[in-house]
Amino acid sequence: MTAAAASPSVRFDPPLEDRIGRITISRPDDSVNAINAELVEALADAVRTARAESDSLRGLILVSDKSNQWVAGADLKIVTRPTDAKQAEAVVRRFQAVLEELAWLPCTTVAAINGAALGGGLELALACDYRVAADLPSVSLGQPEVNLGLLPAGGGTQRLPRLIGLERALDLILNGRRLNARRARRAGLLDEVVHPTVLERAARQWAARPKRALDRPLAVGLSVRAAIDLAEQTPLGRQLIYRQARKAVLNKTHGHYPAPLEALEAVEIGLEQGMAAGLEAEARAFGDLAVSDTAKNLIWLFLATQRQKRHHAASATVERMAVVGAGFMGAAIAEVGAAAGLTVRVRDMQPEAVARGLASIRQMVDEGVARRRFDPREGRQIMQRVSATTDYSGFGEKDLVIEAVFENLAVKHQVLKDLEAVLSRTAVIASNTSALPIKDIASQATHPERVVGMHFFSPAQRMPLLEVVRPDAAADWAVARAVSVGTKMGKTVIVVADRPGFYTSRVLGVMLNEAAILLGEGARLEDVDRAMTDFGFPVGPFVLYDEVGLEVALHAGETVTRAFGDRVPPASAVQVLVAAGHTGRKSGTGFYRWPRRSRLPGPLRRFVRGPRRVANPAVYDGVPRTSLPKEAIQDRLALLFVNEAVRCLDEGVLQSPTDGDLGAVLGLGFPPFRGGPFHYADSIGTRLAERLRALAAAHGSRYEPAPSIADGRKFFEE
Amino acid sequence: MTAPRGRRAAIVAGLRTPFLKAGSDFARLDVLELARSVTVELLQRTGLEPREVDHVIYGNVTRPVHYSNLARELVLAAGLPKATPADTVSLACASACQAITDATNLIERGYADVVIAGGVEMLSNVPVALSPPLARALVTASQSRSMGGRVQSFRGLKLADLPPVAPSITETSTGLSMGQSAELMAKLNGISRADQDAWALRSHQKAAAAWDDGRLAQEVSPVYVVENGGRAVTRDNHIRKDTSLEKLAQLKPVFDRAYGSVTAGNSSPLTDGAASVLLMSEERAAGLGLTPKALVRSYAYAAVDPAGELLIGPAYAIPKALDRAGITLGEIDVVEMHEAFAAQVLSTFRKLESRAFAEQELGRSEPVGCIDPERTNLRGGSIALGHPFGATGARCVTTLANEMARRSAQLGLVSVCAAGGVGAAIVLERP
Repeated sequence: MTAAAASPSVRFDPPLEDRIGRITISRPDDSVNAINAELVEALADAVRTARAESDSLRGLILVSDKSNQWVAGADLKIVTRPTDAKQAEAVVRRFQAVLEELAWLPCTTVAAINGAALGGGLELALACDYRVAADLPSVSLGQPEVNLGLLPAGGGTQRLPRLIGLERALDLILNGRRLNARRARRAGLLDEVVHPTVLERAARQWAARPKRALDRPLAVGLSVRAAIDLAEQTPLGRQLIYRQARKAVLNKTHGHYPAPLEALEAVEIGLEQGMAAGLEAEARAFGDLAVSDTAKNLIWLFLATQRQKRHHAASATVERMAVVGAGFMGAAIAEVGAAAGLTVRVRDMQPEAVARGLASIRQMVDEGVARRRFDPREGRQIMQRVSATTDYSGFGEKDLVIEAVFENLAVKHQVLKDLEAVLSRTAVIASNTSALPIKDIASQATHPERVVGMHFFSPAQRMPLLEVVRPDAAADWAVARAVSVGTKMGKTVIVVADRPGFYTSRVLGVMLNEAAILLGEGARLEDVDRAMTDFGFPVGPFVLYDEVGLEVALHAGETVTRAFGDRVPPASAVQVLVAAGHTGRKSGTGFYRWPRRSRLPGPLRRFVRGPRRVANPAVYDGVPRTSLPKEAIQDRLALLFVNEAVRCLDEGVLQSPTDGDLGAVLGLGFPPFRGGPFHYADSIGTRLAERLRALAAAHGSRYEPAPSIADGRKFFEE
Repeated sequence: MTAPRGRRAAIVAGLRTPFLKAGSDFARLDVLELARSVTVELLQRTGLEPREVDHVIYGNVTRPVHYSNLARELVLAAGLPKATPADTVSLACASACQAITDATNLIERGYADVVIAGGVEMLSNVPVALSPPLARALVTASQSRSMGGRVQSFRGLKLADLPPVAPSITETSTGLSMGQSAELMAKLNGISRADQDAWALRSHQKAAAAWDDGRLAQEVSPVYVVENGGRAVTRDNHIRKDTSLEKLAQLKPVFDRAYGSVTAGNSSPLTDGAASVLLMSEERAAGLGLTPKALVRSYAYAAVDPAGELLIGPAYAIPKALDRAGITLGEIDVVEMHEAFAAQVLSTFRKLESRAFAEQELGRSEPVGCIDPERTNLRGGSIALGHPFGATGARCVTTLANEMARRSAQLGLVSVCAAGGVGAAIVLERP
């Protein structure tokens, strides 16, 4: 840190003739000004200097010297290092104290925000009297701590509700939501949004104003906003808001994530018992959370995802892609490509199919606009990047073609043949298949070296994972292109070998198959599903079967059982259901009978509870059901999942445990707070092999521990 | 008057959307989307790199208020380089002719090598304006600073100023509508109702045949309407394959109920559609490995007094263009003549054949010549296909170039009549 010593992270510039001083935040060794102990101390020095010069200071502005970067939050190293809660608590207490000093400076303080002000960065801005931001896309304000298993502990749970109101603050704090400059202005978080070239001038003007108290003008009149503002002024109204927020958090987290509840608690203590008590609660909760496995795992996932994206971001730019097959998956891939700035040509056989495909792309774009993934103008531009055809015209100049046609080898062969006839020699062909071996798809290709797999997950416009499948024959440049396009699409990419089921379909297939075996042994659907949602999966295996559709699941399952049949005995339940026409949620019945969608108008629906899904009696087939303990079910399914994942690593399907964890969490819904199957294996430790051996003795060789587990390998170093 | 032979502009490709009756499947589409769809498809089908395009010129008549330069919006929407200049031209029904001849000028002078020229019309969504007094009041109100001033701005407005004003379909200088002028031409030139209906029938039959044998499919690209679950529009929807002289004869004259002959059946309908043509210098086309379908040999514009025969402009423009090409009408192998009305087409034929017209109007001793109906509008004309004002010229040029290429015809002629008494004529030749 010699460089840091030479040029401090925070600099105080004495006032100009306007009597307004300036604090410049400038971490020499970090591009986003992440907050670490050194920066906190440097800030403390600067604040102290400002206090010493109070007589000559009318105002003080806080700026960053990084272009389009303000303070993007805490340096996560300060969180991942301590193993002692007291130590973590001490770090945030110091940060709180420095921010308190800043807040209590006698002069007016203004944050001039020119980039991300997240987490501690936003808390720093909140400790100022006013906040001005540049009108830049890089400006983003929020408290994303809960996404990392933490809570805002630099006064965020205290100052934010006082500044923008309880309800709005809870939305930001409990959901980790971020606001862009304009929306932050509307929420009252910013006082002004200006062109970047006049940001400092605007900040100086605000700094010439009188200091202000930490509160806000309440909305008046007959609006919803005014009603909420009024309610927030009464203890009873606040209690109602706390209660609703707690319910919403529990609905979302199923009790697996303590951070939002702790944050809510800190907000409540602060508003009901005063800010000092609130800050105290914040700091204590932070200490406990920072050393929890949940936070460690979530932070690891966050950093691993970032590393993966940085690592895969390539310089070689692909500008034009095409998608063959305008079904739901093809349309979603096209949307993702166009949203990433590529021009996309979509091909299907019939004009009507093309039109339906374009209509679903349009629908996804509209949803993206509604979810504020992009603004309406961007949405229009995304649509304009998409063109469509029923022949292969225009394919000659494409850099990458992704086929998303029906999962049938003969159909894929034909598409490949058609493509080879029209594509340039340097174009890459990627097959979006969830289970068909790429080498079989490319078996008749003249140039198999440019055929790879790009396994997107449905719905592709929202799922964050992409599995790139590398067949033995594939050239490095072809794989690299698939990886870089996937990364450009905003996906986290893992590269896996071309073995049956790749990685994700294989471990999922094995787990789903095991669920069906459990059913054959007399388990209840609901018990199995509840056990797995309690474990932390977003849905249970049988609901997943029904959502995916049993025909698709059967096809994927057969790929797995055919390849690993000696270990993985195929369960017949799915086949029986498909034969009887129970093909999943779309058809109304699968493992469950799904109630029809309510035909009541939307606003009324919430008052009338519709019928819930019930087990399809055909599944039980008169066989009496036994109650299995939750832990037994979880062991059977989760440990098998882990074991199969480790096998994938041992067989070279996976390149690293990191890929395995990212793939399982981002693609299959493996509980993020457990960090993924490899982190989970590490957390069980050497007892894992014993437990698997016991299961193998009782249920068969599929539980025989994978070599690495048998060897007691630890996948991640602390 | 022959143009010096230097650089020549080649028609490399042309494409249009299906032409639909106004108010049908395109009704809710944005005019820009129609133009974008066909232009992107033109680029994709020719495999041309967008960065090769030097300039875009687009014709449009009933211009939407939010696109003051539609062509430039087209550049931005179609993924062409943002540095591509573009301009929108307006010459009523001959707008796309103007776009194409402007493109020819740019290429011949060496100012551009690759130009996209075309036009679009969306008669489903014509911009409806406010009356001038109301518009003036609103502008004044928006500029005044005080509440009182704002109120003051609306004083003196009459009830009659409130209803919106649809775009005019009458000639401002004469007050006559297009149809009334066609009716007048039929009477002056003695064009019978039966002849007009026969020409209309022929237009439908030729168009239907050209769809059946795939000639029109070659120059029409589908438009995908993405609203409401998606819909593919692949065919023109005004062509009546099963119409007959009897059916046409049953229609009542529209513009002169007692003595008239111009009916809905022998006139072109209000239409939505777009068409784009890719023009290049011969050298660039060769360099890119593209084979020109035809070259622009010459062109001419002429205009007549709108109070007379409003749509007779082509009878003046055609001899002018032929003279500039140094050829006679007899040497022309294929003709594409825009059919605003059957009466207008047949009147033009009469004039060109007339010695008196040649002597009195053109100062020539011999008639211009005879246009052989058998070589005219071989894929149907505007009466059957429809007539999106801004796009028709590009549709005619594309069809003519395609027919010339198909028949290896040496010379071809496009003519389009336009509001205001203007006529356009373009002579194409095979390379």
